[in-house]
Amino acid sequence: MEGHQRNLYLYERFNARVLGVSRDDVLTLKYWAKGLDLTFPLLSNITAFLGVSVDAQVEGRPIFSRRTIIIDKTGIIRYVRDGSPEFKDILLFLKKLNQEGGKP
Amino acid sequence: MKRKGLSILCLVLVVAWLSGCATTETTKKPYKLSQQGTVIWEDEFEFLPPPPGWKLLRVEAGENDINFGFMRSDPGPFPSVTTFAYDEEPFGCTPGFEQREKEFFKRFLFNAIVQFQILEKKKVQVVGGEGLAVLVEGKDPIKKEKVRAKVVFGKRGDRVVGFYITQWRPMDGSYDLSAFEVFDKFVASFKFLKKSFYETL
Repeated sequence: MEGHQRNLYLYERFNARVLGVSRDDVLTLKYWAKGLDLTFPLLSNITAFLGVSVDAQVEGRPIFSRRTIIIDKTGIIRYVRDGSPEFKDILLFLKKLNQEGGKP
Repeated sequence: MKRKGLSILCLVLVVAWLSGCATTETTKKPYKLSQQGTVIWEDEFEFLPPPPGWKLLRVEAGENDINFGFMRSDPGPFPSVTTFAYDEEPFGCTPGFEQREKEFFKRFLFNAIVQFQILEKKKVQVVGGEGLAVLVEGKDPIKKEKVRAKVVFGKRGDRVVGFYITQWRPMDGSYDLSAFEVFDKFVASFKFLKKSFYETL
């Protein structure tokens, strides 16, 4: 999450916005965001429907799998990676996607 | 005037997470020695290596972790050890040194749960620009251990990078300040040989 926070200015450059989603409650996320000085939105999804919708919820587990997803302006999922975020890979993908979006 | 929102592509990056981290390993030797006796690390950094007795430390090779460092076992009982490293992504997010320092020390050595006292804080010249050096001491009265650390924040492009040294000792042990001189030489000699990924993005 800190990595995303560091990269906010680059996401801005590529017209991207970042959201975090977890199954933690709002209060926990507030403290967590404060502890890490995060300024982007964190969504609390206790009922897990968001994780289920992107296949990040393993049945029977109380948490989501760590997954990075990039959704384009039309709502299509264009990028999915599991595990810790690979920030350089993400930034290169966003740059490419932004360039695609700029074409007539 | 067009609304800003209309011009935005509205790409949305969604992240789901859980605790834990993944690492990768590399088998290729990442450095070579120059004729001047400096180390060229991955054709990206150049620095003066520490004298014999220091071991190369590469904790993680992932892009989000410490790039590399050196460690030395010191005489005396546990936990007598000194480690120093270059970190491309030091804890915290803010590009300004003063605020970054505060963010950094929220998490620096957080597993050890030590309370830090700032011994000295001053502006320095590092990697060709202005930086901030912070000397601290932390104590763990439960484990009866202490650590002296120096952190030097510098800039690479728009982003903050860090150098740090930690020297652990039992509470009644004495520090070996010569290790800090080795660290200072390492930092003073450190050069970037090319622009970072972020500068070329």
